[in-house]
Amino acid sequence: MSQRLLDPQILAGISGLELVAKTVVDGFIAGLHRSPDFGFSQEFAEYRAYNEGDDLRHVDWNVFARTERCYLKRYRGETNTRLNLLIDASASMGYGSHKLRKIDYARFLAASLFYMAHHQRDAAGLIVFDDEVRNHLAPSSRHGQLLRLLHALERIELGVRTNFEKPFIHFQQYLFRPGIVAVISDFYEKPERILRTMEPLRFRGNELILFHVLDPMEIAPVFRKPVRLVDMESEESLDVSPEYVQGEYRAKIGAHIEELRSGAARSGLEYCLVDTSRPLDMALREFLVLREGRM
Amino acid sequence: MGFTAPWLLAGLAALSLPLWLHLLKRHKTPPEPFSSLMFFEQREQSSVRQHRLDFLLLLSLRLLLLVLLVLAFAGPYWKSGAPLARTERKLTVAAIDNSFSMRQGGRLEQAKREAAALLSRLGPESQGQVVAFAGQVQLMGEPTSDATALRAAVQAIRQEDTRGSFGDLVRALRSIAQSARTGLDVHVFSDFQKTAMPAGFAELSLPPGAVLTPHPVAEGRLPNWAVESVSAPHRLEQNQKGRVQAVIAGYGTPEAELKVSLLVRGAAVESKSVRVPESGRASVEFSSLTVPHGWSRAEVRIEKRDEFPEDDRFLFAVEHSDPMPVLFIHEPRDTRSPIYFRTALDAATQSAFTVQAATPIQLGGVEVGRYAFVVLSNVVSLPPDFEQKLRDYVEKGGAALVAVGAASAVRGKTPAFGVAVTESRYAGREGERFQAAEWLDQTHPSIRRANRWEGVRFYQVFRLEAPEARVLARVTDQTPVLMEKAEGDGKVILFASTFDNIANDFPLHASFVPFVEQTARYLAGLEESAGVLTAGAYYELRRTGGKGASVEVLDPGGRRMLDLRQAATATGVTLAQEGFYEVRRASGRNELLAVNADRRESDFEPIPQETLALWRNTGEGEAAAGQSAGAAPKPFEFGWHLLLLAFVAALAESILSGRHLSLRKKEAA
Repeated sequence: MSQRLLDPQILAGISGLELVAKTVVDGFIAGLHRSPDFGFSQEFAEYRAYNEGDDLRHVDWNVFARTERCYLKRYRGETNTRLNLLIDASASMGYGSHKLRKIDYARFLAASLFYMAHHQRDAAGLIVFDDEVRNHLAPSSRHGQLLRLLHALERIELGVRTNFEKPFIHFQQYLFRPGIVAVISDFYEKPERILRTMEPLRFRGNELILFHVLDPMEIAPVFRKPVRLVDMESEESLDVSPEYVQGEYRAKIGAHIEELRSGAARSGLEYCLVDTSRPLDMALREFLVLREGRM
Repeated sequence: MGFTAPWLLAGLAALSLPLWLHLLKRHKTPPEPFSSLMFFEQREQSSVRQHRLDFLLLLSLRLLLLVLLVLAFAGPYWKSGAPLARTERKLTVAAIDNSFSMRQGGRLEQAKREAAALLSRLGPESQGQVVAFAGQVQLMGEPTSDATALRAAVQAIRQEDTRGSFGDLVRALRSIAQSARTGLDVHVFSDFQKTAMPAGFAELSLPPGAVLTPHPVAEGRLPNWAVESVSAPHRLEQNQKGRVQAVIAGYGTPEAELKVSLLVRGAAVESKSVRVPESGRASVEFSSLTVPHGWSRAEVRIEKRDEFPEDDRFLFAVEHSDPMPVLFIHEPRDTRSPIYFRTALDAATQSAFTVQAATPIQLGGVEVGRYAFVVLSNVVSLPPDFEQKLRDYVEKGGAALVAVGAASAVRGKTPAFGVAVTESRYAGREGERFQAAEWLDQTHPSIRRANRWEGVRFYQVFRLEAPEARVLARVTDQTPVLMEKAEGDGKVILFASTFDNIANDFPLHASFVPFVEQTARYLAGLEESAGVLTAGAYYELRRTGGKGASVEVLDPGGRRMLDLRQAATATGVTLAQEGFYEVRRASGRNELLAVNADRRESDFEPIPQETLALWRNTGEGEAAAGQSAGAAPKPFEFGWHLLLLAFVAALAESILSGRHLSLRKKEAA
C-alpha cells in the first residue's frame, strides 16, 4: 500500500503539492511501522528520580501512585534545524521519458521534505536556480511557511541552462546559520566542478545532501534505431546510433555517477541517486538519516 | 533496339514516386529532445550503415521494378543482323479471287491465266502455293515446287457466288507464313473491289517478311445495275394475292429508265418501268403476285442487260398451299377445348390452318404425317399404335402441343411423350385465389406477340418433370406453365394447364389468339422459313446432332448435297451457290430456298491506289521499295523477358520491404 502511494506515476495523478507531500510522508512513515511523531522533541527518553527544584509538571503521577516515589519523565531534547533546499530549474530538468518529468519529481521530493520539516518544527527555505538564482524563500518555521514553500514550488518555471558556480556564490550570502542544505539537480556538469562549488558550504558547518535526479532513459537509454537527439539546454542536435547508446554512453554516465558519488564521499557530502521511475522513499530515508544525525 | 509503343516510356516519370517517398521518409524522422548531450558523440555504427544500404537497395529495387515494367509494356525489340528467312527461299503465294464479282467478263479465267503464267516462271528451287478466296479462303494444295501441281491447283479453282474478303485472305496469309516459317511473296489476282476491304485497315496488316504484288484483272469502275433486294411473301393462301417490292440500285451508273419484270416459274407476270437516279436507288412494286399450288420459283429481273447480268435478277420462293391441317385430340367429355382452340386459330388474320378434332377412339387409321402438328388436349391415353406413330412423326421432325390437365395427371404422365406429372398446383375460384403468369420468355415465338398474358388467371397448374425442357413461362409460384422439349428432330410444346376455360381463363383473354396462332406457326415450321438467303449462308437442318430422320438437300443444279450418312446426321449445310435449293424432310414437309449473291459484290468500285500502296507497305519485306533480295531481319522482342525480370524484382522487393516492415514494427513496439 505504502509503496503504491509513493509510486511517482501515481503521485503524478494527484493535484496539489500539499496532498502529494502528505501522501508521500504518511505512506513513508506507515512503511516504517513507527509513530508519525517519530523524532519529534516530545519523544519519551527515560525516568529520573525527582530532585528538589524539579518542575512538578513532569512528575509521573501514575508511577508515584504505584511506588510512592516521585519520578520525572524525561524527553529527548528539542533540537531544531534549518533545511535549505536548492532546486535546479534548468531546461534539462524538463526531460521525462514517462509521465513524470524530472522537475515534477523534484517538486514532489521537495514538497515531501518540506512537509516532514514542517512537522518537526524545522525551519525550511527554498532557493530555485538555473544559471541565476530565480527564487529565494528564507528558512522559517513560522505558521504559513509550508504553504509559501509549496506555492513557490508550483511556480517554478524552467530556465535555460545550469550554472552551479554563479548562483552558489550568490546564495551563500543567504546561508547565515548552519543547517541541512539539500541540492536537487541532474548535475549535468563535471563532478569536480560541482564539488568545488559545494564544498565551501560544507566548511561553513552545513550538512549537504545531493539528490541526483535522473530519468531512467538517462541512466540506461534504449534506442532501437538511430535517432537525432536535441539538447534541451543548448538545442544542439546529434545523430546517435543505438550501439553507442548501449555501450559507450552507459559507461560514461555510469562513470559520471560514480565520480560524483565518490567525490561527494571524499568531500563529506551525502549523495543520493534518484531514479524518477522509482518511489521517493529512498530519498526521504536519506534525508531522515541525515536529520537524525543533527539532533 | 526500338519500341513498338514508345509513348509508354512516359511511364518512366513514375520513377519520381519512390524517390520522393524514400527521401520524404528520410526527412520525416523527427528529432527527439534529450536532457543533455554531454555524454553523446556523433558516430555512425555499422548497423546504421547496413540499414542505409538496405534502404538504398530497396529504393533501387523499386526503381528497377518500375523501369522494367515500363520498358516491358513499351514493347522493346532488337533487330539482329541475321535474317529470319532468306529471300531466295521465299514462298510464292498466288491468291486468286473467285468471288461473285469475278463472274463479270471472264475475270476469273483471266486471273487464273495470269496466275498460271506467274507460277510457271518460278525457278526449280522456289516453292509456290495457290489460294482461292471468296466467302472462305481455300488452300488449293500444299506448298510445292512442282509446276504441274501448281497449274492443276489453279485450274481447280471454281467460280463461287459468295463475297470476297481481303481481311480473311490476310488472316490466311499470316497462318501460311507461320507454318512455312519463311517470307511470303504474295501475288493477288483480283478485281480489288472496295467492298471487299475489311472495316479496319489493321486487319490488312501483312505477315512479317511478306511482299504483296497486286494483279488487277479489271481497270476502272464498271457501271452496274442490280436488283438489290426483294420483299415478298413466303407463303400465299388460297385466292390471296401477294405484294412484291424490289429495290433497284445503280453503282457508278448514270440516271436511267429501266424495265423491271416479275417472273413466276419462268414466265413474266408483270413488268414495270422505273427511273433509277445516277448512282442511286429506286423501288418498284408488283401487287398482283399469284402462284399455283405448291412451291414456285420467282424472280425480279431488270430487262436491260448491262455488263454484269448475273445480279440483274433476284430470286425468291413462294408457296401456295391449302390451309394446313392440325390434328386436335381431346377426351369425349371435353367439348370446350377444341372450340376455344379452333376459334382462336380461325380468328388469326394470317391463319393457315384447319383444325380437325378427334377423340382417342377415332384415331384408328389416321395418318399423322399429313398434319402440320398435333395437339394433345388433356388426353388420358392414346391407342398404342397411334402413340407409336405420333412418336415417330415427332422424332422425324414433326411437332406436337401437349396440354396437361386433371385427366392426364391421373396416369401420372403425358401420353406419347411420357413426361411425368408430379404435382397439381390448385387454387380455388371461389376464394379468388389464382396464379398469374409471372415470367415469360419474350424471345420465344409463342409468346412474342402474346401481350405478356396480362390478366390471365391460372386455377390449376401441373408440375411436369421435364428437366431437359426449355421453360417459356412460369406462374406466380414459379411452376413452369409453358415448356418446349426436343424429341428427335421434332419439338413438343408442353402447356401445364388446359384450353377448356376450367383450369384457367386463358381462352377468354385476347392474348390467347396470338398465342395459339404463333405457336401453330412455330410448330408448323412457318416461323423458321427464311425464304430468301444470301450466298454463303448456313442453313440449319436439325437442332441436335446425331442420327435422326433423313433430310435431303438439292442444290441449284438438282444434285444431292448430302450423302446418306450426312443426310441422317448433318445439322446444317452452307448454301454457297446462287439459285434455288430444295429441302425434303422425312416428315413429308418440303421447302424451297432462294439464294442470292451478296449485293456488295455488285459494286465494282476498285480500291484506291493510295490504299493499295498502304496495304503493300504493311509487309516487313517492303516490296514497294523494289528490293529484290532484301533480307528482312525479324526483330527480337524481349518484353516478356523484362516482365519476368520485373517479377523477380517484385519478389525481392517484397522480401526486403517485408524485412523493413518487421523492423519498423519492432521499433514501434
